[in-house]
Amino acid sequence: MSERSTTQTPKARLDAAIAGQELIAELRSTLERAGELIRVVEQNLRETAGEGRDDSSDERVVELERRLATAESDVKELASRLVDSEHQGGRLMNLYVATYQLHATLDPAEVQATIAEIAINLLGAQQFVLLLRRDEEGEGCEIALHEGMYDGAAPPYDGETYAGGDPMVDATLKDGVLRLGPTAESQALAAVPLRVQNEIVGALVLLKLLDHKPILRAEDRDLLDLLSAHAASALFAARLFATKDRKLRTLESLVKLARGE
Amino acid sequence: MQPRKVLVVDDSKLMHKMYEVMLRQYALVYALDGRQALDRLHEHPDVDLVLLDINMPNMNGLEFLAELRADGTRADLPVIIISTEGRDEDTIRGMEAGATAYIKKPFHSEEILDVIARLQTKGSA
Repeated sequence: MSERSTTQTPKARLDAAIAGQELIAELRSTLERAGELIRVVEQNLRETAGEGRDDSSDERVVELERRLATAESDVKELASRLVDSEHQGGRLMNLYVATYQLHATLDPAEVQATIAEIAINLLGAQQFVLLLRRDEEGEGCEIALHEGMYDGAAPPYDGETYAGGDPMVDATLKDGVLRLGPTAESQALAAVPLRVQNEIVGALVLLKLLDHKPILRAEDRDLLDLLSAHAASALFAARLFATKDRKLRTLESLVKLARGE
Repeated sequence: MQPRKVLVVDDSKLMHKMYEVMLRQYALVYALDGRQALDRLHEHPDVDLVLLDINMPNMNGLEFLAELRADGTRADLPVIIISTEGRDEDTIRGMEAGATAYIKKPFHSEEILDVIARLQTKGSA
Protein backbone atom coordinates (compact mmCIF):
# COMPACT_ATOMS: atom_id res chain seq x y z
CA MET A 1 0.00 0.00 0.00
CA SER A 2 1.50 3.30 -0.98
CA GLU A 3 1.97 6.23 1.33
CA ARG A 4 1.03 9.68 0.20
CA SER A 5 0.94 12.99 1.98
CA THR A 6 -1.35 15.89 1.26
CA THR A 7 0.83 18.93 0.75
CA GLN A 8 -1.46 21.34 -1.10
CA THR A 9 -2.16 24.52 0.83
CA PRO A 10 -5.76 25.37 1.74
CA LYS A 11 -5.57 28.35 -0.64
CA ALA A 12 -4.43 26.09 -3.48
CA ARG A 13 -7.28 23.67 -2.71
CA LEU A 14 -9.81 26.52 -2.71
CA ASP A 15 -8.44 27.81 -6.02
CA ALA A 16 -8.66 24.31 -7.44
CA ALA A 17 -12.23 23.95 -6.17
CA ILE A 18 -13.19 27.30 -7.71
CA ALA A 19 -11.52 26.28 -10.98
CA GLY A 20 -13.49 23.04 -10.81
CA GLN A 21 -16.73 24.97 -10.37
CA GLU A 22 -15.87 27.18 -13.34
CA LEU A 23 -15.19 24.06 -15.40
CA ILE A 24 -18.54 22.63 -14.32
CA ALA A 25 -20.29 25.86 -15.37
CA GLU A 26 -18.51 25.71 -18.74
CA LEU A 27 -19.51 22.07 -19.23
CA ARG A 28 -23.11 22.89 -18.36
CA SER A 29 -23.08 25.66 -20.96
CA THR A 30 -21.60 23.30 -23.55
CA LEU A 31 -24.25 20.71 -22.75
CA GLU A 32 -26.96 23.31 -23.27
CA ARG A 33 -25.45 24.27 -26.64
CA ALA A 34 -25.28 20.61 -27.63
CA GLY A 35 -28.92 20.21 -26.64
CA GLU A 36 -29.85 23.17 -28.85
CA LEU A 37 -27.92 21.61 -31.74
CA ILE A 38 -29.84 18.36 -31.33
CA ARG A 39 -33.13 20.24 -31.36
CA VAL A 40 -32.14 22.05 -34.58
CA VAL A 41 -31.06 18.81 -36.23
CA GLU A 42 -34.28 17.08 -35.21
CA GLN A 43 -36.31 20.00 -36.53
CA ASN A 44 -34.45 19.80 -39.85
CA LEU A 45 -35.08 16.07 -39.99
CA ARG A 46 -38.80 16.59 -39.44
CA GLU A 47 -38.92 19.31 -42.10
CA THR A 48 -37.00 17.15 -44.54
CA ALA A 49 -39.31 14.21 -43.94
CA GLY A 50 -42.34 16.43 -44.66
CA GLU A 51 -41.01 17.81 -47.94
CA GLY A 52 -41.15 14.57 -49.94
CA ARG A 53 -38.03 12.69 -50.86
CA ASP A 54 -35.65 12.65 -53.73
CA ASP A 55 -32.02 11.57 -53.94
CA SER A 56 -30.60 14.83 -52.62
CA SER A 57 -33.03 14.93 -49.71
CA ASP A 58 -32.13 11.32 -48.83
CA GLU A 59 -28.47 12.27 -48.70
CA ARG A 60 -29.32 15.23 -46.55
CA VAL A 61 -31.27 13.04 -44.15
CA VAL A 62 -28.33 10.63 -43.89
CA GLU A 63 -25.97 13.52 -43.25
CA LEU A 64 -28.30 14.99 -40.62
CA GLU A 65 -28.68 11.62 -38.91
CA ARG A 66 -24.92 11.27 -38.81
CA ARG A 67 -24.60 14.72 -37.27
CA LEU A 68 -27.34 13.89 -34.78
CA ALA A 69 -25.53 10.70 -33.74
CA THR A 70 -22.30 12.69 -33.31
CA ALA A 71 -24.07 15.36 -31.28
CA GLU A 72 -25.71 12.76 -29.06
CA SER A 73 -22.37 11.06 -28.51
CA ASP A 74 -20.84 14.43 -27.61
CA VAL A 75 -23.63 15.11 -25.16
CA LYS A 76 -23.04 11.77 -23.44
CA GLU A 77 -19.31 12.42 -23.26
CA LEU A 78 -19.84 15.91 -21.85
CA ALA A 79 -22.40 14.66 -19.34
CA SER A 80 -19.92 12.07 -18.15
CA ARG A 81 -17.20 14.72 -17.83
CA LEU A 82 -19.61 16.98 -15.97
CA VAL A 83 -20.30 14.26 -13.41
CA ASP A 84 -16.56 13.60 -13.02
CA SER A 85 -15.85 17.30 -12.61
CA GLU A 86 -18.59 17.69 -10.02
CA HIS A 87 -17.20 14.77 -8.03
CA GLN A 88 -13.69 16.16 -8.30
CA GLY A 89 -14.92 19.60 -7.18
CA GLY A 90 -16.67 17.95 -4.22
CA ARG A 91 -13.53 16.05 -3.23
CA LEU A 92 -11.40 19.19 -3.37
CA MET A 93 -13.98 21.08 -1.35
CA ASN A 94 -13.97 18.38 1.36
CA LEU A 95 -10.17 18.50 1.54
CA TYR A 96 -10.08 22.28 1.70
CA VAL A 97 -12.74 22.47 4.41
CA ALA A 98 -11.13 19.71 6.48
CA THR A 99 -7.67 21.33 6.31
CA TYR A 100 -9.04 24.79 7.03
CA GLN A 101 -10.99 23.64 10.05
CA LEU A 102 -8.18 21.50 11.51
CA HIS A 103 -5.91 24.54 11.62
CA ALA A 104 -8.57 27.10 12.49
CA THR A 105 -8.07 26.90 16.24
CA LEU A 106 -5.42 26.44 18.93
CA ASP A 107 -7.88 24.89 21.38
CA PRO A 108 -7.02 21.17 21.73
CA ALA A 109 -10.65 20.24 22.45
CA GLU A 110 -11.80 21.98 19.27
CA VAL A 111 -9.11 20.25 17.18
CA GLN A 112 -10.26 16.87 18.57
CA ALA A 113 -13.86 17.82 17.83
CA THR A 114 -12.87 18.68 14.26
CA ILE A 115 -11.14 15.30 13.80
CA ALA A 116 -14.33 13.63 15.03
CA GLU A 117 -16.48 15.79 12.74
CA ILE A 118 -14.35 14.89 9.72
CA ALA A 119 -14.63 11.19 10.58
CA ILE A 120 -18.41 11.35 11.07
CA ASN A 121 -19.60 13.90 8.52
CA LEU A 122 -17.12 13.43 5.69
CA LEU A 123 -16.04 9.79 6.05
CA GLY A 124 -19.29 8.40 7.45
CA ALA A 125 -17.62 6.72 10.43
CA GLN A 126 -19.86 5.60 13.28
CA GLN A 127 -17.26 4.12 15.62
CA PHE A 128 -13.64 5.19 15.84
CA VAL A 129 -10.81 5.86 18.28
CA LEU A 130 -7.98 8.37 18.24
CA LEU A 131 -4.74 7.02 19.69
CA LEU A 132 -1.83 9.26 20.67
CA ARG A 133 1.49 7.72 21.64
CA ARG A 134 2.62 8.59 25.15
CA ASP A 135 5.96 10.31 25.64
CA GLU A 136 7.65 7.41 27.39
CA GLU A 137 8.54 4.28 25.47
CA GLY A 138 6.44 1.26 26.44
CA GLU A 139 3.57 3.27 27.93
CA GLY A 140 1.30 2.56 25.00
CA CYS A 141 -1.07 5.10 23.47
CA GLU A 142 -3.49 7.47 25.10
CA ILE A 143 -7.04 6.91 23.84
CA ALA A 144 -7.64 10.62 23.26
CA LEU A 145 -11.06 10.15 21.72
CA HIS A 146 -13.52 7.36 21.23
CA GLU A 147 -16.78 7.84 19.44
CA GLY A 148 -19.93 5.87 18.86
CA MET A 149 -19.37 3.14 21.45
CA TYR A 150 -22.57 3.66 23.34
CA ASP A 151 -22.52 0.25 25.00
CA GLY A 152 -18.98 0.83 26.22
CA ALA A 153 -15.74 0.35 24.38
CA ALA A 154 -14.64 -3.21 23.82
CA PRO A 155 -11.05 -4.41 24.31
CA PRO A 156 -8.45 -3.40 23.31
CA TYR A 157 -9.96 0.10 23.21
CA ASP A 158 -11.52 0.17 26.69
CA GLY A 159 -9.94 2.29 29.38
CA GLU A 160 -7.67 5.26 28.87
CA THR A 161 -4.72 3.47 27.28
CA TYR A 162 -4.28 1.33 24.21
CA ALA A 163 -1.46 -1.08 25.01
CA GLY A 164 -1.62 -2.99 21.74
CA GLY A 165 -3.74 -5.96 20.77
CA ASP A 166 -5.04 -5.16 17.28
CA PRO A 167 -2.37 -6.48 14.86
CA MET A 168 -3.34 -4.09 12.04
CA VAL A 169 -3.23 -1.04 14.33
CA ASP A 170 -0.01 -2.18 15.97
CA ALA A 171 1.63 -2.56 12.56
CA THR A 172 0.47 0.93 11.52
CA LEU A 173 1.79 2.44 14.75
CA LYS A 174 5.09 0.73 14.04
CA ASP A 175 5.70 1.43 10.35
CA GLY A 176 3.36 4.37 9.64
CA VAL A 177 1.56 2.71 6.72
CA LEU A 178 -2.13 3.41 6.21
CA ARG A 179 -3.96 0.06 6.26
CA LEU A 180 -7.49 -0.83 5.24
CA GLY A 181 -9.41 -3.72 6.78
CA PRO A 182 -11.07 -5.72 8.03
CA THR A 183 -8.53 -8.53 7.91
CA ALA A 184 -8.45 -12.01 9.39
CA GLU A 185 -6.75 -10.62 12.50
CA SER A 186 -8.44 -7.24 12.81
CA GLN A 187 -11.98 -5.88 12.74
CA ALA A 188 -10.75 -2.32 12.11
CA LEU A 189 -11.82 -0.82 8.78
CA ALA A 190 -8.86 1.56 8.60
CA ALA A 191 -5.77 2.32 10.64
CA VAL A 192 -4.57 5.79 9.74
CA PRO A 193 -1.09 6.72 10.99
CA LEU A 194 -0.79 10.21 12.48
CA ARG A 195 2.48 11.96 11.76
CA VAL A 196 4.31 14.96 13.05
CA GLN A 197 7.44 15.62 10.98
CA ASN A 198 7.59 12.00 9.78
CA GLU A 199 7.38 10.63 13.31
CA ILE A 200 4.42 8.35 14.01
CA VAL A 201 2.68 9.84 17.02
CA GLY A 202 -0.57 7.94 16.94
CA ALA A 203 -3.35 6.52 14.81
CA LEU A 204 -6.97 7.09 13.94
CA VAL A 205 -8.74 3.74 13.90
CA LEU A 206 -12.08 3.46 12.10
CA LEU A 207 -14.06 0.56 13.54
CA LYS A 208 -17.51 0.90 11.97
CA LEU A 209 -19.18 2.97 9.26
CA LEU A 210 -22.72 4.31 9.23
CA ASP A 211 -25.21 1.68 8.06
CA HIS A 212 -25.98 3.55 4.84
CA LYS A 213 -22.28 3.74 3.95
CA PRO A 214 -21.22 0.12 3.43
CA ILE A 215 -17.59 0.69 2.40
CA LEU A 216 -14.88 3.33 2.26
CA ARG A 217 -14.77 4.75 -1.26
CA ALA A 218 -11.73 5.63 -3.33
CA GLU A 219 -12.32 9.34 -2.68
CA ASP A 220 -12.16 8.72 1.08
CA ARG A 221 -8.51 7.81 0.69
CA ASP A 222 -7.68 11.50 0.10
CA LEU A 223 -9.31 12.41 3.40
CA LEU A 224 -7.54 9.62 5.25
CA ASP A 225 -4.21 10.86 3.84
CA LEU A 226 -5.09 14.39 4.88
CA LEU A 227 -5.88 13.29 8.43
CA SER A 228 -2.62 11.37 8.51
CA ALA A 229 -0.64 14.47 7.57
CA HIS A 230 -2.57 17.20 9.38
CA ALA A 231 -4.58 15.88 12.34
CA ALA A 232 -1.68 15.17 14.68
CA SER A 233 0.26 18.32 13.83
CA ALA A 234 -2.85 20.44 14.46
CA LEU A 235 -3.52 18.65 17.74
CA PHE A 236 0.08 18.84 18.93
CA ALA A 237 0.36 22.53 18.03
CA ALA A 238 -2.82 23.21 20.01
CA ARG A 239 -1.61 21.18 23.01
CA LEU A 240 1.77 22.91 22.92
CA PHE A 241 0.10 26.32 22.78
CA ALA A 242 -2.17 25.41 25.71
CA THR A 243 0.80 24.22 27.79
CA LYS A 244 2.88 27.30 27.00
CA ASP A 245 -0.08 29.56 27.70
CA ARG A 246 -0.61 27.89 31.08
CA LYS A 247 3.08 28.21 31.97
CA LEU A 248 3.07 31.86 30.91
CA ARG A 249 0.13 32.59 33.18
CA THR A 250 1.85 30.83 36.07
CA LEU A 251 5.03 32.84 35.52
CA GLU A 252 3.05 36.08 35.31
CA SER A 253 1.36 35.23 38.61
CA LEU A 254 4.75 34.53 40.21
CA VAL A 255 6.16 37.82 38.94
CA LYS A 256 3.15 39.68 40.32
CA LEU A 257 3.57 37.88 43.63
CA ALA A 258 7.28 38.73 43.76
CA ARG A 259 6.49 42.38 43.09
CA GLY A 260 3.93 42.34 45.88
CA GLU A 261 1.09 43.30 43.52
CA MET B 1 -38.32 29.99 -5.41
CA GLN B 2 -34.80 31.39 -5.61
CA PRO B 3 -33.42 31.19 -2.05
CA ARG B 4 -31.90 34.47 -0.94
CA LYS B 5 -31.01 33.64 2.62
CA VAL B 6 -30.34 30.14 3.95
CA LEU B 7 -30.37 29.17 7.63
CA VAL B 8 -27.81 26.45 8.40
CA VAL B 9 -28.61 24.52 11.60
CA ASP B 10 -25.80 22.16 12.58
CA ASP B 11 -23.68 21.75 15.71
CA SER B 12 -20.58 21.10 13.58
CA LYS B 13 -18.42 24.10 12.69
CA LEU B 14 -16.86 21.95 10.00
CA MET B 15 -20.27 21.68 8.34
CA HIS B 16 -20.79 25.44 8.65
CA LYS B 17 -17.56 25.95 6.71
CA MET B 18 -18.62 23.30 4.20
CA TYR B 19 -21.91 25.10 3.47
CA GLU B 20 -20.10 28.44 3.32
CA VAL B 21 -17.88 27.13 0.53
CA MET B 22 -20.64 25.18 -1.21
CA LEU B 23 -23.33 27.87 -1.18
CA ARG B 24 -21.31 30.98 -1.99
CA GLN B 25 -24.16 32.45 -4.00
CA TYR B 26 -26.48 32.65 -0.98
CA ALA B 27 -26.44 34.68 2.21
CA LEU B 28 -26.03 32.24 5.10
CA VAL B 29 -27.14 32.47 8.72
CA TYR B 30 -25.83 29.89 11.22
CA ALA B 31 -27.22 28.19 14.30
CA LEU B 32 -25.64 25.47 16.45
CA ASP B 33 -28.92 23.92 17.67
CA GLY B 34 -32.68 24.10 17.25
CA ARG B 35 -33.16 26.70 19.97
CA GLN B 36 -30.65 29.06 18.34
CA ALA B 37 -32.28 28.38 14.99
CA LEU B 38 -35.66 29.62 16.23
CA ASP B 39 -33.95 32.79 17.49
CA ARG B 40 -32.22 33.27 14.12
CA LEU B 41 -35.55 32.93 12.32
CA HIS B 42 -36.98 35.74 14.44
CA GLU B 43 -33.91 37.87 13.74
CA HIS B 44 -33.96 37.05 10.00
CA PRO B 45 -37.57 36.79 8.83
CA ASP B 46 -36.33 36.80 5.21
CA VAL B 47 -34.75 33.31 5.55
CA ASP B 48 -36.33 31.22 2.81
CA LEU B 49 -34.55 27.87 3.15
CA VAL B 50 -33.31 25.83 6.12
CA LEU B 51 -30.58 23.14 6.05
CA LEU B 52 -31.17 21.12 9.21
CA ASP B 53 -29.13 18.53 11.09
CA ILE B 54 -30.98 16.19 13.47
CA ASN B 55 -28.54 15.28 16.26
CA MET B 56 -27.86 18.49 18.13
CA PRO B 57 -27.75 19.54 21.80
CA ASN B 58 -30.47 21.58 23.54
CA MET B 59 -33.10 21.18 20.81
CA ASN B 60 -32.67 18.58 18.07
CA GLY B 61 -33.68 18.96 14.46
CA LEU B 62 -37.02 17.18 14.70
CA GLU B 63 -38.05 19.25 17.74
CA PHE B 64 -37.12 22.41 15.85
CA LEU B 65 -39.11 21.25 12.84
CA ALA B 66 -42.18 20.54 15.00
CA GLU B 67 -42.02 24.06 16.47
CA LEU B 68 -41.50 25.59 13.04
CA ARG B 69 -44.48 23.79 11.50
CA ALA B 70 -46.66 24.67 14.49
CA ASP B 71 -45.89 28.34 13.87
CA GLY B 72 -48.42 29.38 11.24
CA THR B 73 -46.25 32.19 9.86
CA ARG B 74 -43.35 29.93 8.73
CA ALA B 75 -45.24 26.68 8.19
CA ASP B 76 -44.37 26.55 4.49
CA LEU B 77 -40.65 27.34 4.84
CA PRO B 78 -38.69 24.65 2.93
CA VAL B 79 -36.48 22.54 5.21
CA ILE B 80 -33.86 20.09 3.95
CA ILE B 81 -32.77 17.61 6.61
CA ILE B 82 -29.10 16.64 6.25
CA SER B 83 -28.23 13.99 8.79
CA THR B 84 -26.09 10.95 9.57
CA GLU B 85 -29.32 9.19 10.58
CA GLY B 86 -29.68 7.08 7.47
CA ARG B 87 -32.23 4.35 8.18
CA ASP B 88 -35.45 4.33 6.18
CA GLU B 89 -37.49 4.97 9.31
CA ASP B 90 -35.37 8.07 10.00
CA THR B 91 -36.17 9.42 6.55
CA ILE B 92 -39.87 8.68 7.02
CA ARG B 93 -39.88 10.32 10.45
CA GLY B 94 -38.18 13.41 9.02
CA MET B 95 -40.55 13.71 6.09
CA GLU B 96 -43.58 13.16 8.33
CA ALA B 97 -42.28 15.90 10.62
CA GLY B 98 -42.53 18.27 7.67
CA ALA B 99 -39.16 18.17 5.92
CA THR B 100 -39.10 19.06 2.23
CA ALA B 101 -36.23 16.69 1.47
CA TYR B 102 -33.90 14.32 3.34
CA ILE B 103 -30.20 13.92 2.53
CA LYS B 104 -27.87 11.49 4.27
CA LYS B 105 -24.35 12.43 5.40
CA PRO B 106 -21.78 12.04 4.01
CA PHE B 107 -23.18 13.66 0.87
CA HIS B 108 -21.93 14.90 -2.48
CA SER B 109 -22.37 18.65 -2.86
CA GLU B 110 -24.41 18.16 -6.03
CA GLU B 111 -27.10 16.31 -4.04
CA ILE B 112 -27.86 19.49 -2.09
CA LEU B 113 -27.50 21.76 -5.11
CA ASP B 114 -29.89 19.50 -7.07
CA VAL B 115 -32.51 19.64 -4.30
CA ILE B 116 -32.21 23.43 -4.15
CA ALA B 117 -32.52 23.61 -7.95
CA ARG B 118 -35.65 21.41 -7.79
CA LEU B 119 -37.12 23.70 -5.13
CA GLN B 120 -36.47 26.69 -7.40
CA THR B 121 -38.16 24.96 -10.32
CA LYS B 122 -41.11 23.94 -8.18
CA GLY B 123 -41.47 27.46 -6.78
CA SER B 124 -41.34 29.16 -10.16
CA ALA B 125 -43.77 26.71 -11.85
